[in-house]
Amino acid sequence: MSDAVIFRGVSKRYGQFAAVDVIDFTIAKGTLVTLLGPSGCGKTTTLRLVAGLEHASSGRIEIGGKDVTNLSAAERDVSMVFQSYALFPHMTVLENACYGLRASGIARGRAEAMAAEKLALVGLEGLERRLPSQLSGGQQQRVAVARAIVLEPKVLLFDEPLSNLDAKLRRHVREEIRGLQQQLGLTVVYVTHDQQEALAVSDRIIVMNAGRIAQDGTPRELYEAPRNRFVADFIGDANLLPATLRRTGATEAEVRIGTLSLTLPHRGVADGAVLVAVQPHSVRLGAAGEGLAGTVAKAAYLGSHREYEVALPGLAHELFVVAPVAQPLAAGEAVGVAFDPAGLAVVPEG
Amino acid sequence: MFQRAFIRRGLTFAALLAAAVTPSLARAQGTLVVYCGVDEAWCRAMTTTYEKQTGVHVDMTRQSAGEIYARLRAEKDNPRGDIWWGGTGDPHLQAADEGLTEEYKSAALPQLRDWAQRQAERAKYRTVGIYLGALGFGYNKEELARRKLAAPACWADLIKPEFKGEVQMADPNSSGTAWTALATIVQLMGEDKAFDYLKKLNGNINEYTKAGAAPAQAAGKGETLVGIAFQHDVIDVAKRGFPVQVVSPCEGTGYEIGSMSLIKGARHMDEAKKFYDWALTPDAQKIGAANGSYQMPSNNATPIPPEAPDLSKIKLIEYDFAKFGSSAERRRLLARWSTEVKNQGR
Amino acid sequence: MTRLWLLLGAVGLVLLPWYGLETPAASVLGLRAEAAPALFAGRWWLWPLVVPLGMAFAGWLVPAGVAGLAWMAGQGLVIGLRGWGISWLGLAGAAPAQAAMGWGAAAFALACLMWIAIGLARRGWCRGDVFVLGALLLITGLIALFVAWPVLSILSSAVRDNAGAFTPGALPDKLFNRAIWGLDCLGGGRGCGVAWNTLAQALVVGVLATLLGLAFALVAVRTQLPLKPLVRVLSLLPVITPPFVIGLALILLFGRVGVVTNFLANSFDIPRTRWIYGMPGITIAQLLAFTPIAFLVLLGVLEGVAPSLEEAASTLRAGRWQVFRTVTWPLIRPGLANAFLISFIESLADFANPLMIGGNFNVLSTDIFFAVVGAAHDQSRAAVLSIVLLVFTLTAFLAQRAWIGGRSYTTVTGKGDAGLSAPLPLGLKAACLGVVVPWLVLTVVVYGIILGGGFVKTFGRDYTPTLDYFLTAFSIDRGVGGWFLSGSGWRSFITTMQLAAIATPVTAFLGLLTAWLLSRQDFAGKWAFEFATMMSFAIPGTVVGISYILAFNVPPVELTGTGLIIIISFVFRNMPVGIRAGLANLAQIDRSLDEASMTLRAGTARTLRLVLVPILRPAIVTAMVYGFVRAVTTVSAVIFLVSGEYNLATVYIVGRADVGEYGVALVYSAVLIVTMAAVLVGISAMVGRQRIGRRGTLPAAELATT
Repeated sequence: MSDAVIFRGVSKRYGQFAAVDVIDFTIAKGTLVTLLGPSGCGKTTTLRLVAGLEHASSGRIEIGGKDVTNLSAAERDVSMVFQSYALFPHMTVLENACYGLRASGIARGRAEAMAAEKLALVGLEGLERRLPSQLSGGQQQRVAVARAIVLEPKVLLFDEPLSNLDAKLRRHVREEIRGLQQQLGLTVVYVTHDQQEALAVSDRIIVMNAGRIAQDGTPRELYEAPRNRFVADFIGDANLLPATLRRTGATEAEVRIGTLSLTLPHRGVADGAVLVAVQPHSVRLGAAGEGLAGTVAKAAYLGSHREYEVALPGLAHELFVVAPVAQPLAAGEAVGVAFDPAGLAVVPEG
Repeated sequence: MFQRAFIRRGLTFAALLAAAVTPSLARAQGTLVVYCGVDEAWCRAMTTTYEKQTGVHVDMTRQSAGEIYARLRAEKDNPRGDIWWGGTGDPHLQAADEGLTEEYKSAALPQLRDWAQRQAERAKYRTVGIYLGALGFGYNKEELARRKLAAPACWADLIKPEFKGEVQMADPNSSGTAWTALATIVQLMGEDKAFDYLKKLNGNINEYTKAGAAPAQAAGKGETLVGIAFQHDVIDVAKRGFPVQVVSPCEGTGYEIGSMSLIKGARHMDEAKKFYDWALTPDAQKIGAANGSYQMPSNNATPIPPEAPDLSKIKLIEYDFAKFGSSAERRRLLARWSTEVKNQGR
Repeated sequence: MTRLWLLLGAVGLVLLPWYGLETPAASVLGLRAEAAPALFAGRWWLWPLVVPLGMAFAGWLVPAGVAGLAWMAGQGLVIGLRGWGISWLGLAGAAPAQAAMGWGAAAFALACLMWIAIGLARRGWCRGDVFVLGALLLITGLIALFVAWPVLSILSSAVRDNAGAFTPGALPDKLFNRAIWGLDCLGGGRGCGVAWNTLAQALVVGVLATLLGLAFALVAVRTQLPLKPLVRVLSLLPVITPPFVIGLALILLFGRVGVVTNFLANSFDIPRTRWIYGMPGITIAQLLAFTPIAFLVLLGVLEGVAPSLEEAASTLRAGRWQVFRTVTWPLIRPGLANAFLISFIESLADFANPLMIGGNFNVLSTDIFFAVVGAAHDQSRAAVLSIVLLVFTLTAFLAQRAWIGGRSYTTVTGKGDAGLSAPLPLGLKAACLGVVVPWLVLTVVVYGIILGGGFVKTFGRDYTPTLDYFLTAFSIDRGVGGWFLSGSGWRSFITTMQLAAIATPVTAFLGLLTAWLLSRQDFAGKWAFEFATMMSFAIPGTVVGISYILAFNVPPVELTGTGLIIIISFVFRNMPVGIRAGLANLAQIDRSLDEASMTLRAGTARTLRLVLVPILRPAIVTAMVYGFVRAVTTVSAVIFLVSGEYNLATVYIVGRADVGEYGVALVYSAVLIVTMAAVLVGISAMVGRQRIGRRGTLPAAELATT
């Protein structure tokens, strides 16, 4: 049995409102899967359904091959790192870390030794006797992680674990989490609304929208081949341009964007009006007259690269472009727009 | 750990609190529950003296006679009290009438004055007289002088217009004193005329108090000009230095026979009987005068306090205890008084 | 754990004495017939209780529990102390008799409840959480027994005559009696019905208390006078003051021979009158007691008005008056309504001040009292009056909750709102100060009298200092058995402290458990549960007292005359303190703490014990202190429930004041106030030092308004 978590037709309804609307997925053992989506999309509810903090209105949940649909949180072999860390303010770091072990009936001495080991693993040696209020935000976060992994749960859950940290620390901690997961071979379900974070740490990403799964795939699949407009819009800063598609082969299709004609994989999309997701770095700006006609509307210099907004009068659209520093353009300048086909994906309209 | 220390501290605190509130009483030789119907100070002196002399632990509740009677009725299926000591005689008779109290002939019975023995006979020995007090009223001398009014001497004076809003009496529904007043007026004047009088009096009343002794206190303090009460209550207030003059009404007046009864089904009947016998001794009866209660005691051997109203100068009516002590008559008259007098407003 | 509850059921049936509430050891050793356990008491109608026990052992927990409880209730109601308890069943023959249920019955009933909880949990109710279901059923059961059943007893008593015969036909007569609803006072001459008196009184007090509270709040928030701390201290005083003492002090000030009256009469020849007795006196006394509550409500509201709104208005060319009239006033209007309704309800329920200073002005609460304690002993009339009062208070209470309860009407955002509140219009400021300053003086004088009046010979006549009254109440003497407390006040004082000390932890425990269920759990019927618990807030003390007498005077549950009934009345009267404190504090504690504990394998009970209780500790202690203080100072409910053995301080003081012994009454009140103040200060100092930080204390307004 290599699937750690299985959701089969799971829904969570509050009165008429469905926070989670008939979703199915599986999570393989030893992988880190991210639930990604805008706020209110149902990702946190899904996580809490795994934890047992919410109970499904219908459907079936398995953890480690065991049906846990009606078990309470205390009876499930999962643990969770909360957004607010939820450290018990009246207990020391060590007491916090021991809590789950003591609740599982492990003797104090052994529990403290196990907890101290995990605290050392996350780099908190020497801080065992402190109270949570005497620690920095990053340290508190590590205590929360140590407290969760000391139970060696079948599944470890993270609910937006980085949102209370400052930007610099965030990158560092997310790498630590990923490192820890791979070092210990943990199965992790990770909730975030930050697509960068999701792309950086995940083996797989489940994008959610309005209580349903919008797409389930590897970071690369999501980025390069969004299945629908929502995913294309949410992942990366992709531009969505209107186009028409005509299949020309088993996998190939001719796609027309304004006056431009390209050959792209049709990815199962039917003939007719479609959208093309254009990654900002795959736009090539050349001299006026080549490719699509455009005008630079805004230009910004960001040190490592330049950003432009290019108006495309023919398509009544603006294009967001990331270009190398070496190619300065000024606002108002006329340009010709071409695309690198590798950064383009066909998406069904609507 | 933290919470354990907290619990320990909490327990210590609770233990200290419990120790602090537990009375450091020497373990009592027994217990007695007394419902006491006289003045608080007298009740207290009686019980503490008894406690001191015998070591018996006495639980005493002081209430008006009417309240004690009501309580006996409420508790009749399951009595809580042992002995009902003091308070005007009518409710004692009523309780005897309804079988709420226990028959008992104390060895001291022959030593008692006539009226006390007669009270016992009337109740088939379910109660006994312990003191006699005549009804009357008191007026505040200073207030009267300031207003330049003639001192009231008769019941008839109290309905004069100059006393409008200046007379106070207790509510006969809750006070045995006021019931005695109501019965007295009825016996003096005849029922219909009595109610005419009471309606007029109602116009002059400023407040029907709950407790029988309150009007005497109020007259002493000047809260009211005239207060209808037992004469010994008025004398007690005067003795404490208030400018109040006791009046024995010229038409004649009724009286109460303060009584004592054993409660039927008492849980400590033996203790109660011992207290009963003790309460009839001169030693016990002297406690009243020593504590500002100047009724005439019932034991022939008890010295009559010099402050007590001189019975030879008081015109006592032939009070018909049999009639006015019966529940039915009482209920009827109280109902009539409530609807025709009290609820008429002023 | 299931085995434990099965065992308890068996113990209740086989081991513990079924009847009587004396300590089990005493009744067993006493070898009285009633002391036998249910199965050996020779009462055949108890034998069927074996059936549910058997069913429970067989695993049919829910049916077993329901059957057990149903049979207990049924036999208890049908077979009374003197035979058949329900006459209309027409049961003939030699009636069997039984006493009131005792420890065995209590244990068995508790076991039945827990069987149901376990059974339902196994069927997946409440996420299968036995602890939640057990707590829920326990509290529901207690509320049913000690709130709902007494109220039902009132209703049943109202349709009976005084001898206990069933006479529903007389009800309309009793209910729409002229003495209750008469409007004769409008035509002059007679007094109005007591219902109108009560309403008029509550209306006047509600309006005046709101206006006074507003004046205080405006002065405290919008002027530079250093009144705020002073007013806050004064606003705590009513909490620790036995309610009637204020009436007493007013008599000493404004009575016919009061200090002020004397002064006016001697200096200006103003005739002495008894104006204070009746509505004016009650009004002043209640205002002194309730204005602080209105003040605290309005203070919160006024502080919530963002200064930027007023600044915006003044930059738009509005003058001081216009700003106040067009911005401030509309924003605080809902707060005014809230303050009004709270004062209105308090006035309706107030018993002690009308008793003390009401003269012949009757209100419902005192009339109920006199209907019971008077020689008439008319429980039926008391029941009818109680129903009227209950309808009034519940209506106002529901109006308050429905209309204002959930509405947020301030502009607090949680973010600092820099800026200065608009200064008050000059006229308004003068008016406020003109009211506030004399009122403060009056308050100080009143408390001066209360604290000092018992240490002079006769207040108002003779100011020779004396300890006589103090010694009367609190002397210690030596007799045959050694030292003993001979003062007249000791017994009631000690009883009060003991009973309140016992009731306090129970109150806090039940209150906080209820708060936790309400704030952290979702279950079917939560709305009804919340309504039932809140309902017990709204029932006036007088009604509670009379309903307890009616419900618990005879078997199956007989408690009158015991200390237990007083403790129970304390618990259910003061549970709101615990509930409110719990709700307020639980709202501040992030739910993820409980959830973290749950995901770390800790069950519900363990989570409560190890996580929430330690964090809620300051709230728990504070709730306990306030519960204790409120228990000690209450009069209305317990005046019906005291007995020779269990007399209480407040009832004793009322009795003293009633016969005019003001000295003792004042001394005793002063002792109570000082004791309570010491308890408050002592405990808050103790708790204050050990606080974990960031959690706020229990706001006084929260407590005052319960």
